[in-house]
Amino acid sequence: MIRAALLSIAAVFAATSASAHHSTAMFEWGKEKSIDGTIDKWEWTQPHTFVWLVVPGSGGKVQQWGFEGMSPSWLGRRGWNIRTLTRGDKVKLVYYPLRDGRQGGFFVRITLPDGKTLQALPGGGGPPPPTSTSGAR
Amino acid sequence: MNQLRISFAMAAVVLAAGTLAGCSGGGGATAADAAAKSTPAASPSQPDPGYAALAKLPDWSGVWEPAMFARPGAPPPPPPGPPKLTPQYAKQFDGFQAKNRTTPGLNFVSSVANCVPPGLPVSMTQPYPIEFLFTPGRVTVMIESYSMFRRIYTDGSPLPANDQLDPSYQGTSVGHWEGDTLVVETAGILPETSPLNGINGHSDQLKITERMRLIDPDTLEIATTRADPTVFTEPYTTTARYARHRDWKIMEYVCAQNNHDALDEHGNPAFSLERKPGE
Repeated sequence: MIRAALLSIAAVFAATSASAHHSTAMFEWGKEKSIDGTIDKWEWTQPHTFVWLVVPGSGGKVQQWGFEGMSPSWLGRRGWNIRTLTRGDKVKLVYYPLRDGRQGGFFVRITLPDGKTLQALPGGGGPPPPTSTSGAR
Repeated sequence: MNQLRISFAMAAVVLAAGTLAGCSGGGGATAADAAAKSTPAASPSQPDPGYAALAKLPDWSGVWEPAMFARPGAPPPPPPGPPKLTPQYAKQFDGFQAKNRTTPGLNFVSSVANCVPPGLPVSMTQPYPIEFLFTPGRVTVMIESYSMFRRIYTDGSPLPANDQLDPSYQGTSVGHWEGDTLVVETAGILPETSPLNGINGHSDQLKITERMRLIDPDTLEIATTRADPTVFTEPYTTTARYARHRDWKIMEYVCAQNNHDALDEHGNPAFSLERKPGE
């Protein structure tokens, strides 16, 4: 909880793209959506982590969703690690959706099977896409 | 600088010899011992190579997080006014600003998305931390993003002329201390890099001057001045602040490990939902 509060404060100072190396234009940044599903794979990789989620679809079919997250170094300094998520975990995932309607987005926070919620981004739309001329990226 | 380089090179040769000898058995170990005895750096009677002088430098230990996510002790200074640019670059920069207002985020389209690292000075304000290492005659900056580093000679070496430099992403740097401020001059930066968000490319005349100092015990400030007459009609300075984390370490960053964000064939931001082969 304290960590989440600190991250919210940090968002005030944010003036850069959330990810180090690419545009956030493909996501509806700041528009939170929620999805329940089962972890298929948790990729603790650079430049971004990835969550592959299996979600029940219509007619008994399952859908695969893919969510990008902050990097292992960024998340690792905020309480996450390669063991945070395990295949088979049933989770609630909050994300910023892809603009083009595909099944994916950028994850903001995840509620684990034990009810604990881990924050992956400050939330509330922060950090915003870059607009400054300060040279910060 | 040359003297230091030679002694380090000698030490490296000795180490290498020791390693090789170690593989070949007991006889080799004797040879390595003999070599070690003749190494100047290994002898206590040699003059201090400069480590004692390092104690007089300010304490920049720990890892420094740029202020975009961090909370430095002092808030960032107000952003400077817009840069004064030559007509060619003014057009490019104005287009960037206009697009930023209408489609935020869409501008951040560059080869960086394809894992090509940013050049100096954009490399210093990534959303990942940096670390400073002081050794005699040199300051080394470890930049977490893209696992980059900078080598700043502080041994009095002059900055070589542009036509003597082989361009690189982080350029060639020399520095000197003015009290507790490290002043760094850099040239030889690859012309295809971005000297400022919204400006792509510059000439081989780009020179970056950085003034780095602590403004409170846990806040580092770097004022960065860009000079290139083909881009800027007058030098343009921005200031960044960093918060100290004594308990952090610089992590590995390998962009090509699992990059889903490479640009599409039109150079626009893309996002791949393809999983890695074999899954």
